[in-house]
Amino acid sequence: MGRFILRRLVFFVITLLTTSVLIFTLIRAAGGNVAAILLGKNSSYEEIHKLSTELGLERPLPVQYFEWMNNFLHGNLGQAFRSKQLASHLIWTQAPVSVPLSLGGFLLAIIIAIPLGTYAAKNFNKPSGAFVAVISQVGIAVPVFWAGLLLSLVFGVHLHILPTGGWVPWNESIVGALRSLALPVFTLGIVMASTLTRYTRTAILDVMNEDFVRTARASGMSRRVALIKVGLRNASLPLVTVLGLLAAEMVGGTVIIEKVYSLPGISRMILDNVTAREVVVVQSTVMVIVIYVMTVNLIIDLAYGILDPRIRVGK
Amino acid sequence: MSEVLNVAKVKAKRTRKKSRLPLIIGGTITGVMILIGIISVFWIPMDVNVSDPSIRMLPIGTAHHLFGTDYLGRDVSSMLMTGIRTSIIIGSCAAFLALFIGTILGMLAASISKLDEPIMRMADIFMAMPGIIFALVLASTIGAGYLTTIFALTSFFTPAFVRVTRASSMRVLSEDYISVARLYGRGRMFITFRHVLPNISSILIVQFTIYFAAGVLSEAGLSFLGVGINRPSVSLGMMLHEAVEQIGITDPLNVWPGLCIVILVIGLNLLGDGLRDHFDPRFSQRVR
Repeated sequence: MGRFILRRLVFFVITLLTTSVLIFTLIRAAGGNVAAILLGKNSSYEEIHKLSTELGLERPLPVQYFEWMNNFLHGNLGQAFRSKQLASHLIWTQAPVSVPLSLGGFLLAIIIAIPLGTYAAKNFNKPSGAFVAVISQVGIAVPVFWAGLLLSLVFGVHLHILPTGGWVPWNESIVGALRSLALPVFTLGIVMASTLTRYTRTAILDVMNEDFVRTARASGMSRRVALIKVGLRNASLPLVTVLGLLAAEMVGGTVIIEKVYSLPGISRMILDNVTAREVVVVQSTVMVIVIYVMTVNLIIDLAYGILDPRIRVGK
Repeated sequence: MSEVLNVAKVKAKRTRKKSRLPLIIGGTITGVMILIGIISVFWIPMDVNVSDPSIRMLPIGTAHHLFGTDYLGRDVSSMLMTGIRTSIIIGSCAAFLALFIGTILGMLAASISKLDEPIMRMADIFMAMPGIIFALVLASTIGAGYLTTIFALTSFFTPAFVRVTRASSMRVLSEDYISVARLYGRGRMFITFRHVLPNISSILIVQFTIYFAAGVLSEAGLSFLGVGINRPSVSLGMMLHEAVEQIGITDPLNVWPGLCIVILVIGLNLLGDGLRDHFDPRFSQRVR
């Protein structure tokens, strides 16, 4: 068990380091001269040169990379060139919107999908099981933003139950914040749930005919109990992979949903800074998001490692 | 005895018929969509970028404008046709490039043990990356457009192909006839192209269809954010972006592009499922 955790942690660190190099190269190398872009088209060469020196953009890229990483690890995420706002402050103000939204959607998806997928697998030869399968098939095909548009049209415009968008800060009104998060979380949850339901169904169908389920049945468990106790646990191996992928999708979905419901979250911040070419802010924000996704992944991995000894040994 | 056999036969027939249904429906939908895309290259009812303020926001079913017009008086049916074409081009190109690169890397990982670890760990890293964020950054640094979108999608679809190719190649490589081929003196290249590739091609085709669908969805998402396809090109996600930005969520035009995406993606996914059952009857039997 100790070795398993250690291996996961080492991979976690290596992944983060590789990603940081990738992000840095992508943003810096492909982005052109940052100073020139910041100053606009009508700037002279001297001005550009002066700003570049000021911002330390003249130095070799590896040096800049190590400086960025060094600062990053010390909690200094850099600041915007123009507004002088600290990246960490910007992220801190977006987190209360984006983190509950993404995690809420993720959890909702799991809560909906695991029982539903198990149900669909158990009743695979009945109309009700087929119905679930068809619904999840359709759900996979629905773009998350379109689902958001339709849901806010139904619940916001026609039924007037929930706001169609906008954000009430937590410290102003907790109920208001929850209300403005309800539809976004629901949208993200059901869209991710359709993918997860389908995978759960397949995974359970796969183990259903295995010998150990038959043995469990023979030992007196009812079909339902055998499926839940033995089947679901054994089906978890393929589900880990899917959950890991969903963690990445969760962030993508969050970005799009924030746009649909005009929430002042991470999506707006990245879009704004990306258009303003605030490279340091973008770099650090993307890095924080990657760390977030990887951490969710790591937690899923470790949790399943505890659940399923086969994962611990390493496939 | 013969009765039992007959029952078995009927049963077998029934399941066979059942498993063909997704293939037929999916194939038809995909075929029609591709046809629309091809037609749109040669003919669309009206230019997608010509606006006419006098005919703004015409409802669906108007003469000459079957699906109505948008907030600038542009013809929606033309935009839908062009948008479907864009979706198909970007989805298929991204999936194809990912298939091409992923297959090569996957087969390298499977047949050369030294390369296995590095390639697979790289794939893991790319897989854990939030694709949309990456595409967002990419679009802003090198500019949004067709090529950027395809490049971004390819880079986060490739790992899945690497994994599938490696896993299925490994399975083929462990077969007895591969050992025989080796003993016979066949080289690595020969074995790869003569034995491994044909045996994993069906899996790859299925995977291609599924990622084709994923590409359509991702492109729509990126264009909806405004970092995918922009005017003068037209895409379904971009139409939704425009509708929401200009009119809001009550715009009736929000329905059609979304519906087109859903239909296209369902078609592709069904086609993928159908092909899988078709290529690998064992799979559907096991599920049964």
